[in-house]
Amino acid sequence: MNWLSKPVRGLLLDITGVLYNSGEGDGVAIASSIEAVKRLQASDLKIRFVSNESSNTRAKLAAKLGRLGFEIQEEQLFTPAPAAASYLRQHGLRPHLLVHPGVQDEFAEFDMTDPNCVVMGDAEREFTYQNLNTAFQLLIKLDRPQLITLGYGKYYMETDGLKLDVGAYAKALEYACDIQSLVIGKPNAEYFSAAVADMQLTIDETVMIGDDILSDIGGAQKAGLRGVQVRTGKWRPQWENHPIVTPDGIVDNLAEAVNLLLAQNAA
Amino acid sequence: MAGSLFAVLIDLSGTVYDDDAPIGAAIEAVNRLRRNPRARIRFVTNTTKESISRLHARLVRIGFTIDRDEIFTSLTAAKRFVLQHQLRPMLLLEDVAAEDFEGINRTNPNAVVVGLAPSQLNAERMNEAFRLIQGGAQLVAVYKARYCKRPAGLALGPGPFIQALEYAADTKATVVGKPEKGFFLYALESLEAKISPERCVMIGDGARDDIQGAVDAGMIGILVKTGKYRPGDELTIEGGAFLCDDIAAAVELIERQLFL
Repeated sequence: MNWLSKPVRGLLLDITGVLYNSGEGDGVAIASSIEAVKRLQASDLKIRFVSNESSNTRAKLAAKLGRLGFEIQEEQLFTPAPAAASYLRQHGLRPHLLVHPGVQDEFAEFDMTDPNCVVMGDAEREFTYQNLNTAFQLLIKLDRPQLITLGYGKYYMETDGLKLDVGAYAKALEYACDIQSLVIGKPNAEYFSAAVADMQLTIDETVMIGDDILSDIGGAQKAGLRGVQVRTGKWRPQWENHPIVTPDGIVDNLAEAVNLLLAQNAA
Repeated sequence: MAGSLFAVLIDLSGTVYDDDAPIGAAIEAVNRLRRNPRARIRFVTNTTKESISRLHARLVRIGFTIDRDEIFTSLTAAKRFVLQHQLRPMLLLEDVAAEDFEGINRTNPNAVVVGLAPSQLNAERMNEAFRLIQGGAQLVAVYKARYCKRPAGLALGPGPFIQALEYAADTKATVVGKPEKGFFLYALESLEAKISPERCVMIGDGARDDIQGAVDAGMIGILVKTGKYRPGDELTIEGGAFLCDDIAAAVELIERQLFL
């Protein structure tokens, strides 16, 4: 497993499919992951939980993971909304939000009376013709229309069936306005680098552990990180020989990765 | 005598009327075509929100002599497509447009028909549509306009929502309305007079929306300088088309030169 051939001082961990699987209510924890996270928290390793989650604030996400049994601090969560807020701040942008009400608080600092961009997340039930039309009408009037999305997934599975994700509705506005979105989230390289920088580490000394071979592993590798694939969550057996992405390691689950890593670091 | 018949497809908004009034001598131009025993007429439009009845009522009110059955809309094209392919559609259409699909079996859908339907284009219905398409249902777009003009400004058309479904389901919609050439062929077919495309003229104000597709289908295009016409539009038509001041001039051209 060549992911251990260089030192590792920090980990980026995907959440869904690595810590827990979604389902009824909060979902179901992957049992061995709870202990794995506990061991990591007790170690010298720095960690960030990296997700494209855009329906909940970090506080709510931390609370949910807590209910599932995980020891996680809010500051260790790395989600698109605060990263987007940071981007808006840096570029002096004033957002019109088309997001889930649950994530609005992440943008509380902004004056939204005279927006010059649209920020779109997985707005779920807020994806109505009226709301999309309002966003469209704003964009089409701007000299430099900017559409910033939190993640870019096509769809996801919930207990009551498949649901269109932010990427689909982003495509709708891109088509309407003839523009490209700026995507904040996996698999964008900047997102991974920002998470690494948040730990004040370098890309060389950080490893990403995830279940989505293209978005998590492929994305991380494009950013220069080592990527380790778990055989939980979205895992499919045919990925042992994936045509596009060769992970730096494949493990059964997070626990196996943590065991190997901590054993190595102790040596 | 069938060989001497010719067809005339006429765009509505911007070609025969604008707001609530006829454009120039449009009423007389249409009547003139009617007096020609060899002419067969269809009025063509992409509107999906209004059903044919309402559109017809509006035209009559403006002063046109026109039969309901002479109006061929992208909705008519969609219905024809659904019937031809024996599809059972889930409809993302306003009730008023869905009226036109009465009598078609919609249980256990194997197709999704998407038009301009603000009350239907929301997360719940889009998810339902997406699940059907993921399960193999065919995606049919009544037309794919990005946006349309409303009194209050621009508004999203059905195109963006179709794009969303195409992206998520990794599929391509079959577009049955303008400017697809299939639309014009369907309109010609609906005359049931075995007229070939070479003997069919399309008159409209949109180079891209009305004329190009018709020319692609082998028809004769006449671009009129009314409605949304902008100088130079005629140069963008691949295959070429005639340019006339308005519909009255277009009818004059047809009778004096094209099919005398």
